[in-house]
This record gives sequence, C-alpha cells and structure tokens, in this order.
Amino acid sequence: MKITRRFLGAALALAVTTGAAAPVLAQTATQALSSESVIETIKERGVIKIGLSLFVPWSMRDLNGDLIGFELDVGRQLAEDMGVEVEFIPTSWDGIIPALVSGNFDAIISGMSVTASRNLTINFTDPYAFSGLAVYSNIGMTQGMSRDDFNNEGIVFAARRGATPAVVIAKQFPKAQILLFDEDGAAAQEVLNGNAHATMAAQPTPNREVANYPETLHIPFEALYDPRGEAFAIRKGDPDAINYFNNWIAQQWRSGWLEERHNYWFATTEWESLVAQ
Amino acid sequence: MLSTLKKLHWLDYLVLAVILAFFGYVWWQIEGSLNYKWRWHQIPNYIFRYHTGREEWFANVLLQGLAATIRISIYASILAVILGTILGVARCSANLTIRMLARTYLEFLRNIPPVVVVFIFFFFLSEQLIQALNIESWARGIARSEDKGIWEFFFGEMRRFPKLISGVIVLALFESAFVGEIVRAGIQSIDKGQREGARSIGMNRFQELRYIVLPQAMKRVLPPLANQFITLIKDSAIISLISVQELTFKTVELVASTRLIFEAWITTAAFYFVICFGLSMLFRKLENR
Repeated sequence: MKITRRFLGAALALAVTTGAAAPVLAQTATQALSSESVIETIKERGVIKIGLSLFVPWSMRDLNGDLIGFELDVGRQLAEDMGVEVEFIPTSWDGIIPALVSGNFDAIISGMSVTASRNLTINFTDPYAFSGLAVYSNIGMTQGMSRDDFNNEGIVFAARRGATPAVVIAKQFPKAQILLFDEDGAAAQEVLNGNAHATMAAQPTPNREVANYPETLHIPFEALYDPRGEAFAIRKGDPDAINYFNNWIAQQWRSGWLEERHNYWFATTEWESLVAQ
Repeated sequence: MLSTLKKLHWLDYLVLAVILAFFGYVWWQIEGSLNYKWRWHQIPNYIFRYHTGREEWFANVLLQGLAATIRISIYASILAVILGTILGVARCSANLTIRMLARTYLEFLRNIPPVVVVFIFFFFLSEQLIQALNIESWARGIARSEDKGIWEFFFGEMRRFPKLISGVIVLALFESAFVGEIVRAGIQSIDKGQREGARSIGMNRFQELRYIVLPQAMKRVLPPLANQFITLIKDSAIISLISVQELTFKTVELVASTRLIFEAWITTAAFYFVICFGLSMLFRKLENR
C-alpha cells in the first residue's frame, strides 16, 4: 500500500512536470528547426555551396576555363542578395542528388526539372525557369516521318542517362529503343553519325544543333513535350530554406530579372563567342 | 637505327604495309561515316591560354586536370604504400586473427569492381571522415587567406581540397590491397635462413622485420611496385565518378561545354599515355642500373 502511494505520487509529479514542459519542448523544437535550416548554415559559413552539372546553355566553361551560363548568373545574384560568397561545385549528373542528400552542397541549381519521382527524395522550390523538350533527328534516316512513325521498334533514340528526356522518350515512344549516354554531346553525336535516329533535348538545344548541322539534322515535328518548370533542389525537412528561396525567386520574377537573363542565354547567341562552339 | 633497317626481311615490309593499309582503311571508314567537324585548333586554348581578363598566361582546364591527376596519384601512392606495407606484414603475421582480418580486407577489395569500391568508400567513409575532421572550413580559411601559394602548389584550388582528399583516400584504400599482396610476396621471398639468423642473434620479431626482412623485401618488390604506381595513375580516372576534379572529370566538363568530343578525349588519352609510358621507361632504366 505504502509503496503504491509513493509510486502514485511520483507518477503525479512526473505528469505535472511533463505537462508544464510540453509547450517549452515545442518551442525548442521550432528553434531547433530554424537553427538547423541550411539558411543558418550558409550565413554562419559565409558561403553558399551550389551543386551543378555542366549543360549548355545552363552552365558551361568558357574559353578561360571559368564557369558561365544561366545558372551561374542566378547563383551569383542569389549569393549577392544573401550577402555571402558563392561556390559552385561541378558534379556529375548521375550522382548529383545523392551528393545533395549527403550534404556536399546546400542546393542544386542545375536546370533540374521538377518530377514526382525526384520530389520523393528532395524538395523543390518554385520554378525559376520553364522549358519544354523537342525531338531533333537525322534527316537522312527520318525524312518524311510523322510523329507516330517514331513510335516504332526500328527507331533508336539517344539520350543522357538519368535525365528527363530519357524518361519522356520511354513514355511517348514506348516501342522505340533507347541508347543511353553519360552526357548530351555523345547522344547528339550518335544522331549525327546515323547510329541513332533521333534524340530529345530541352529547347533551345535542338534549335542550336540544327543550326550547326543544317544538312544533317532537322526538327521532324513541332511538338513540345513535357513543358515543366526547373527549380532549386534542397534537402527535405527545411521549411525555412523553401520560404527563403521561393520569395527570392518570386521577387526576381516580378522584377523581370529572371526573364531577362533567361532570354539572354536561351534566345540570343551573344554569348557563343565566349565558348568554343 | 640503320642496322635495324638492314635486318628487316622483305616479309617484314609486307607485314608493315598490311598494317598501314588496315589503319588507312579504318581511318577512311571513320572519315566516311563520321559526321563530325574537327576543330583541333581549339584544343591548345584549353591547355594553355592567355587570360583575357587577368592578362596573363594560365593553365586551362586540361592542364589543371592533368596537374590534379599527378598530385592525386603521388599522394595516393604514398598512402597506398604505407597501408599496403602494414597489410603485407599483417598477412605474414603469426597471429591468426590479424592474418584473417588482412585476408578478408584484401579479398573484399580484389573481388569487387573498382567503381563499386569507389562509391562505397566515398559515401560511407571518406565523406564522414571529412565532415568529422571539419576539413572543409579549414581549407576554405586557407583559400580566403593571402599567402596560399604554397598550399595551392601542393593541393591545387584549396576550395576543392576536401574532394581531393576523399579522392586520395578512396584510391589509396583500393590500391593498398594490391600493394599489400606485392609486399607479402616480397616478405615471403626472403630466405628462411635470414629470419633464423636474426632470431639467433637475439632480435625480437619487430627488429627482425625492421632490420632484416623489410629492407631486403622492399628492394625486391620495387619493380612490381613501380608497375602498380602506373596502374594507379590509370585507375585514378575512376574517381571522376565522385566528381574529383582530375583529368577525366575536366575532360567531361570540356566536352559538355564545347562538344569537342573526339579532340578532347584523344588529347586526354595522349596525356595519360605520355605520363604512364614515360614512367615505365624511367623505371626500366632505373631497374637496369
């Protein structure tokens, strides 16, 4: 009896303290959440680390070996507005999401389009660019073919492994074969050499390739596939960072800066003299 | 040279002609079927270039990559030889547990493809190590400071230092298995009499190893070790997969930026060949002396 009473007392005391501590605990949880935000890490470090994979005209090396491109403009402006330095970490596309998750950099700004499957692993901000995919093909092999003719066992598509076009091709042209490569250059070359009928890429790449090889390449039909937005990718569980980046992107849309930069890199060819093309 | 020419039989000339004709045919086929605009004149730009902004000559991406490959290879070899020697000694240990542990490590590494080993070591080991030791902020501190010249000479761009270190660790761990086997063979090749002699003058196991066995063994294993060093340089291309900024990675970047697919890869192949072939000639010369 005596033991039970003592036990009850202890239980009561415990319940009271826990009850009193609950709001305090909730408060520390929110504090912890905001102090663990990548935004805090960036401020503390004085550097924002951005992961990217080279992909013309999003990002590329110019004749001086320096990085230039749409992403670089975005990243540098973002860092300037945050008041920190910027570090770009070129990473191969295959490993860019694992590298983000394991903490190699704070965000991916690399023309990554928002897809449902990627979103299961990482979080996306609001889009800072929009683009669609177009098919371009070898004239000699695909002369006079309609869109439906491409969905055929005899047709070979070339694409970059793990990139959106590869997925879209498989879905839109389920009967065609796909050859996978590590980067877009190799995929385009296969079409030029006549080893693949066609490949798919985000505009303006198809238009630029056709302009470079007008006697070999053409755009067989004017369909834009999978129009979607490209967004910053960050690690999950970080509401503060999403809020910060979304507001920054919204502000840049309103001021017209994003559109102006996007036009410069995607609609003009002024920058081409900076790179050996 | 002339005397070699004289020794050639007419059949040798025939063989030579056939080989040349074969390569000519392959080249003709490539030219015919390859729709490619060769732009070799761009390549020297990406080796050495006069910087338009800074107004000075600088080593461009390909040469930067080559320098990184050389640095990584040297550091990884030193680390691999240290680890490999420990492993080799452990393989000959009297203690069964140590022997089994060394054997397990070695068999694991030898029977898994290098690419897989690289990924596993990178994500599970070297990344954790770098985060735990806080190497990144230390390296960034140096990159921001004024006198970083000496650091950059040894390690290149200091902001990429953590990546360089993980590349070195991954490569060294992988190669240490092979170095270990070479060292073990060297130790076991030392005559039993030598060891017994060491014991008989009252040396303990450590002294025996340190003063009698290892010096002789190391001398014997130098040629295969030199060979392993050349293999390591070639294997270093694998760590481009974990985005270490060495020659192969830089070439991929160059190709992605400029579409100089064949020119860039052929140049890179030439770089690797010159280094590896040059080293193997050098080692052959040293062996003869």
